[in-house]
Parts: sequence; structure tokens; C-alpha cells
Amino acid sequence: MATINATLSVTSDITSSGLSINDKMTMTKAGTTTGLEKTTGLARRFFTSTNQVDLLTAASGIAADVPTDKLSSKLYIKNVGSDSAQYFTIGKGNSSGSATETAISSDGTAYYRIGRLYAGEWMIIPWDAVATTGDITIQPSVATEMVVEYMVFFE
Amino acid sequence: MATTTASLTITSSDLVGDALSLSASNTLHKAGTTTGLEQATGLTKTYLTAVTPIDLFGTILPSGSTGNVSTYEGKSHWIYISNKSEDETEYATITIGDKVIGRLYAGDFMWMPWDQATDALDGTTKHADIELAPSVATGMWFEHCMIHEGMKLPTSV
Repeated sequence: MATINATLSVTSDITSSGLSINDKMTMTKAGTTTGLEKTTGLARRFFTSTNQVDLLTAASGIAADVPTDKLSSKLYIKNVGSDSAQYFTIGKGNSSGSATETAISSDGTAYYRIGRLYAGEWMIIPWDAVATTGDITIQPSVATEMVVEYMVFFE
Repeated sequence: MATTTASLTITSSDLVGDALSLSASNTLHKAGTTTGLEQATGLTKTYLTAVTPIDLFGTILPSGSTGNVSTYEGKSHWIYISNKSEDETEYATITIGDKVIGRLYAGDFMWMPWDQATDALDGTTKHADIELAPSVATGMWFEHCMIHEGMKLPTSV
């Protein structure tokens, strides 16, 4: 069993009294106190088109061993660019393979957009890597080179 | 202009052969700018006693002819959710627009952008809502916060 600790800190003067979030999690297997033991490693990927593609395909590629049955997986993604106008659109479901984003459907079957990662921004979420519709999609905002880093911790 | 900084550190001495240490930090800006975000919900603590999914962050649509469009689509919103349960078997299922993102087990947190996307259906309540469903009805604590570029509040009734 491994011990993986993640610490989040958010500090702000956004209110007159400030705002502070400090949280720490030890990544564990679903329903247990046993630590996660597997990772994809930190991957780095370059993009030179605005096509929407799979960043992570459930049960395939570097995510081949990530459980597809609602267990405990954590996904980290970072836009490592420096141009504040450029962003990645991150979503979950089926990628279109073209520059047109897959239609968003609120019944949750095919695809839903999560949000945008601008330069330097990162996210960490649990990943229910359900087969077929659990893929993590990515779409660069420009066709000039953009770079993303990502990593999955799983059981 | 406010300055909000979000930082993440992930460490492990025994996950891989060499020690793992990953750090990321950024300042939260309005979409496509270097202007800091200026609005926040504040850090909220919630106790839920049912397994019914609830809208933790709902998207409220404008009325009238633009009723199917989210005003704040493409704007910058950042979501923090933390499961404060101490029972390792308890979790919350987090969804966006009814699409499951994943499960937050006891002690887990998440931090992610939220686009308030407009979906293809002509619904009036589901657009990109961030939903949370506890796994048990015996009571679970959560903390959550949104730091954002704008949101529509419900009209009083």
C-alpha cells in the first residue's frame, strides 16, 4: 500500500475578511483506508489542432488499468501554457474527433463539458472511468502548439 | 481586483521507485484575461440527511427568448467540494448535467473549472448543474465553495 497525500490551498482577498481553504486528502481505495497503489505517471501531451479528442480513454491506453466500475480514481490535469487567452476545454464522454465539440446532452449519456483550463490552471477530480462514455475529452482553443500534463491515481 | 491563488501539492514516498512530488499553483483570472476573479459564494458547510441528489451549484437560465442559453457559459467558475465524512465507506456521487464525474470518498476533495455549458436539450433546470448525492441518509458533512466571474441568482417569489 502506498501513501499519496494531496494538499489544496486557496487564499484570497476576494472578501473583506479574506477567503482561505486548506484541505488535505490521503488517496484511498473505495470504501477503505487502504492507500491507492497505481498511477499512470505524469504524462505530457502536445496539441497542434483544435480537434476535440480523448485525453484519456476509459479502459484503454495509459488508462487501461483504471477501474471502470465507480471505484476510487483521481485525475489531475494542468494546462502548462503561458498565453492567458489560450485554453483547453475539458469534458467527459465521447469526443468528436473534429473541431466541432460533441453535442452536450443533459441526460448525461454522450458528453458533457466540464470547463476550461486557461494557461497555468489545473484541476483535480474523481474520475468514474466507466467504459464507453467515461472518457476524458480535451479540445485546444487554438491550433498553435498547446501542452497539457495529466496523471491518474487509481486502485 | 482580487487576487486568488490556488495551490496543489501531491506527494508520495512509496508510490513509485523515486519519491513523487508534484506542485501546481495559479492565480484565478476572468476568462481569457489576467484580471482576477471578484466574486465568491464563500466557504459553505452543509449537512445532508438523504441520498437524494441535490444541486450544489445550479445554473439559472435567463427568462424570455434566451431561455435556453446560459448567460455565464464560457465564463470562469471554480468549484471546490470536500467530503468531510470520517467513515471511509461513505461517499458522494458528483455529477454535472446528470453526467457522473466520480465519487468523493470520505476525506476527498475536488477542485475544477465549471463552464455552465448550455446543453442540447430544451430543459430549463439541468444546464450544467453540479449535483451531489450522498451514499447514506444517516448524515454527511460537506464543504463547498465557488469562486467565479458571475452567476444568476433566483428571482424572489
